[in-house]
Amino acid sequence: MDLIQNIVNGQILRDSILKLNPLYLAKNNAVMFTVEVGFLLVLGIAFFPGISEFVNQTQELYFAIAGILILTVWFATFSEALSEAQAKAKVDSLKNLEKEVLAKKLEHGNEVEVKSTSLKPGDRVRVYAGQIVPRDGMVIDGKAFVDESMMTGESNPVFKEKDDNVLGGTKVASDSLVIEITAEAGKSFLDQMVGLIENATRPKTQNEIALTILLAGLSIIFITVVGTLLFFANFLGYKVDIAVLIALLVALMPTTIGGLLPAIGVAGINRLARDNIVVKSGKGIESAGDCEVLILDKTGTITEGTRRAIEFTPMEKFTEQDVGQAAYAASINDSTFEGKSIIELAEDKNIVPPLIDQILTAKSIEFSSETKFSGIEFLRGKKLPARASDTSPRTKVSDKLYELEESDKEIRILKGSVESMLKISACTNEAELKWKAQEISKIGGTPLAVSINDEIIGLVTLKDNLKENIREKLNEVRTTGITTIMITGDNHLTAQVIAREASIDEVVSEAKPTDKLNRVILEQSKGHVVGMVGDGTNDAPALAKADVGLAMNRGTAAARDAANMIDLDSDPSKILKVVKLGKQLLMTRGAITTFSIANDVAKYFTILPAIFMKDNPRLEVLNIMQLHSPESAVLSTLIFNAAIIPLLIPLSLKGIKFKAESTQKIFLKNMLVYGIGGTILPFVGIKAIDMLLSLVVR
Amino acid sequence: MEVSVTYVDLIQLLVVLLGSLSLAVIFGKYLARMIIYEKRPLEKTLGRVENEFYKLIGIDKYQQMTWRQYFLALVVTNFIAACFLFGVLVFQDLLPLSPKSGLSLDLAFHTAASFVTNTDIQHYVGDKQLSIFSQMVGLTFMMFVAPATGISAAFAFIRGFIRKDFGLGNFYVDFIRVIITFLLPVAFVSAILLMVLGVPQTLESSITVQTLEGAPQTITMGPIASLESIKEFGSNGGGFFGSNSAHPFENPNGLSNIFEIILMLSIPFSFPIAYAHLLGKGRGVSILVVMITGFGILLIVGLLTQSGPAGLETRFGSFGSVLFNISSIATNTGAANSALIGMSPDAIISLLVAMFIQAIPGADGTGMMTMIVYVVLTLFIVGLMVGKTPEFMSMKINSRDIKLAVFVFLIHPAIILIPTVIAYTNGDAQQLLGSTTPMTFTQVLYEYTSSASNNGSDYLGASADTPFWNLSTALVVIVGRYVPLGLMLAIAGSFTIKDRKEVVEPIRTQGPVFTSVLLIMTFLLTVLTFFPFLIMGPFSI
Repeated sequence: MDLIQNIVNGQILRDSILKLNPLYLAKNNAVMFTVEVGFLLVLGIAFFPGISEFVNQTQELYFAIAGILILTVWFATFSEALSEAQAKAKVDSLKNLEKEVLAKKLEHGNEVEVKSTSLKPGDRVRVYAGQIVPRDGMVIDGKAFVDESMMTGESNPVFKEKDDNVLGGTKVASDSLVIEITAEAGKSFLDQMVGLIENATRPKTQNEIALTILLAGLSIIFITVVGTLLFFANFLGYKVDIAVLIALLVALMPTTIGGLLPAIGVAGINRLARDNIVVKSGKGIESAGDCEVLILDKTGTITEGTRRAIEFTPMEKFTEQDVGQAAYAASINDSTFEGKSIIELAEDKNIVPPLIDQILTAKSIEFSSETKFSGIEFLRGKKLPARASDTSPRTKVSDKLYELEESDKEIRILKGSVESMLKISACTNEAELKWKAQEISKIGGTPLAVSINDEIIGLVTLKDNLKENIREKLNEVRTTGITTIMITGDNHLTAQVIAREASIDEVVSEAKPTDKLNRVILEQSKGHVVGMVGDGTNDAPALAKADVGLAMNRGTAAARDAANMIDLDSDPSKILKVVKLGKQLLMTRGAITTFSIANDVAKYFTILPAIFMKDNPRLEVLNIMQLHSPESAVLSTLIFNAAIIPLLIPLSLKGIKFKAESTQKIFLKNMLVYGIGGTILPFVGIKAIDMLLSLVVR
Repeated sequence: MEVSVTYVDLIQLLVVLLGSLSLAVIFGKYLARMIIYEKRPLEKTLGRVENEFYKLIGIDKYQQMTWRQYFLALVVTNFIAACFLFGVLVFQDLLPLSPKSGLSLDLAFHTAASFVTNTDIQHYVGDKQLSIFSQMVGLTFMMFVAPATGISAAFAFIRGFIRKDFGLGNFYVDFIRVIITFLLPVAFVSAILLMVLGVPQTLESSITVQTLEGAPQTITMGPIASLESIKEFGSNGGGFFGSNSAHPFENPNGLSNIFEIILMLSIPFSFPIAYAHLLGKGRGVSILVVMITGFGILLIVGLLTQSGPAGLETRFGSFGSVLFNISSIATNTGAANSALIGMSPDAIISLLVAMFIQAIPGADGTGMMTMIVYVVLTLFIVGLMVGKTPEFMSMKINSRDIKLAVFVFLIHPAIILIPTVIAYTNGDAQQLLGSTTPMTFTQVLYEYTSSASNNGSDYLGASADTPFWNLSTALVVIVGRYVPLGLMLAIAGSFTIKDRKEVVEPIRTQGPVFTSVLLIMTFLLTVLTFFPFLIMGPFSI
């Protein structure tokens, strides 16, 4: 088992023992500090039994109590060391990537081998296949595939060419690149990331601080109680023992949650790191649990982001084949996924455009965000082959092409958004076009109009696929009371359909880049905690404003800087996972706190009779546990108290099970498990330990 | 001893509950209107009277106070009132109406502190040591000041939750309005009812009558009805006579007994109803249910073993005595219609628990405030379990709120247990009560518990009129009143500037689940703290 392995791991053992330092505990863990002070007192008593009139037990008992007390503290520091070791492991694996390497620096055209640490921003290096990029930089020359898996978890090598950014520590997989170094030594992305993980383990979050205060308050109350109890018992003629009172104090103090609190916090960050999410601040995770509104992009988060052609819809005068041919021609130079999918669809349907040679050599019209269309243009000078020599079957498209040539016009075959195409073509039947486009929107598709010169001949239906299981994931999110808002540039109809399919609560369609920020501000003004995902520079303000901003590693530096978490895998739907983890973290804290306080009931019933019963037989009624002897009662309570900490370590590292349910249901269920269960378990546990002890001790 | 609760007892209980709840429904609505400055019946006339007062003392009724200003105004007003009472008590030999020799400085200090804080622990015998002037002008006046202070503070506290930046209000305005448009009229009417039930009201300090044997006997009298009505209604509890409500003039018969219980319970019960009007019906009703159920638990514990017959008044019977005392102590009134010595150990446990909790239903105003603090703490402890930052009324509970709430809970055991230890280590306890037994330990613990929770009932009475007891309990009384009040107003100050959300709370603060959890936590948090002392004290008697 992992745990066993960790116990024998020397580093963790050493850390956990170093953490026993009272100064460290006094600063970081008031509850455990108190237990340790108790340990020292009992130890002192064990060595000098004659020190006070309040010492009247056997020396063995004192040693046993002292032993269990220090064990309690050690369990707590061990859990902390264990979770920190896990965080460190992640950091180390990252640090290993940026070992010092030899770089081939370009000086006056010659390659000079230098150490990577000596590189300055502005230096140029050449990196060959199989070598490590020495530091963050920008490609100046060359094209190559770069393996970024160690950084991002993305297993496919990424294609890089001029002006692309490369990260230090990644490996060039093919060819070679000339890179201009952009980061200073120690300030690369990798360094930042290591810094983030290391720092994230330190500052406490709001809830953690509040909980620490509560625990400290409870401890002070119990110290007052036990401290004054010593006096009263003495005045009333009870023979009390300091060590037994210290045992009572330790039993009453919330040692379980006090001991595990640091581990729980670190574990949250660890679990995100394991999912390749880097958290810049603990606050981010906690806010994730509090999220009430999630603002999601459609593309990439809810849908695959790869729209594929699924249908050709002709206008009245044309056939499916015509549209297919024209769309094929318009997409011939289109290397995007959409363009390729149009050609695939056409080929599937056995549609090949006529005059394929001319189409292949035609000048391509690139897509631009202003025109919103792309396609090809036959230059006027280039004649089509004579009609007689053309062997391909005659279609309306080829007819039209010849017709156009005869009138000596330039010929353009274009595809683009319906609105943009309407602008440039004299559509004779706008009503029909709009109606057909709407039909496509209704099934959640995006219509693409195809035209030859100014006549629109038909539409291509592009459809984006929903991500796998996205509906289930979003439903889960909804049950926990989170509202989801989808932001998309699509028209309203398409957006509505996708929202319905994916089970989204609200849609902002035909969105402009500023809409995200506005929406974040609007929701926050209602007091909601808002989470969002972004990757572009224009997302940066919204990411910074949102309570939980998850940036994609593939996104721009501005977005990464603004967000409080970065997903190395660049998978936007991971925001749902982040929310779940945040909730789990809070739930774990709450559950163990409730458990810890509920435990106290039983402990009173074990230790108080042990203190008072000898001198006051009236208290027999309290002895519902019927433990073996006062000594075994104290010991078994303390053993239970100590043992519960390591038993709960797996729970605090993994987090308690999270099932999507209404908060009211979760509340009731956890109350039953950790509240009622926390009351009953110690009765059973202590009794069992006592029975075992009674076998050992007389 | 066999415990028997008869049908008559149950009817008595039913009448008390129905009576106090129906009064609470009326008062609750009225208080809600006062809290948000809505129109009250007779608004024009009342407003005119109030405005005269504002002009008289020169305050701007529209000025909103921060929690610090509100608290400062409260403390200053109380301080002035306490100085006045102190003066009256010390110089009562120079003042009119049956002058008696002035009280010693430490006793006057204790009495002033005790009455201004709504505690009313009496280390004197009223009918023997106080003049009619002191009783009527000094004490009765203070019996309006003290509950009006608590009620005003609760107004400010509740306002903190209504909506963002609603403002906590103005202490002087609240204070004056509470006295002249709420406490005075109700006290006036109930004083008349008490007179009808046989409580005397006269300025004569005594009358002399012929006994059946023909010997002349002097009977102490005075303006008892007017003091008695505000004593119960304002959760004060300081009696005219040393024997408090056990005295036939303060509480002549079974009917007056029931009426006085109803008076004690009416304001504490009306706060959750005002809360229901302002912050959601379910929430208010849930808190009321917690208070009534908690009260019921106290009553059951108190009746586990038979109290009396020694030390009890036969005209009320065992049940009537326990019901009166538990109502009185649970509302922190502190009046008693029978000696505590006569109460069974279980009844004493129940009384102590009531004072440890202070919120079922607790004193006028402060009981409700304390209950809200329990709500906040409960929400924080169990609320994390649903995976969200705990919220109250859709407002996040932050570390500062928790710090303040924890202080409220820390201060209570500290000012009970530490002074009790001091009383024993100094030897003052042994000197007063002799050898240390569970019984005498209970008495000392009770004295400081009663002081810390501003209750006022006690075992010791005039026997504790020594500088040590006067000064130590006076200090406890003052810390027990003003420190939690300040902390709780600070909580309100923190909540009033918080953003509210338009979503459902993660844990609804209403309904059966929350009500049970709150009830359990309320008892658990206090009993966990005090359990060993209950065991060593009353449980071992």
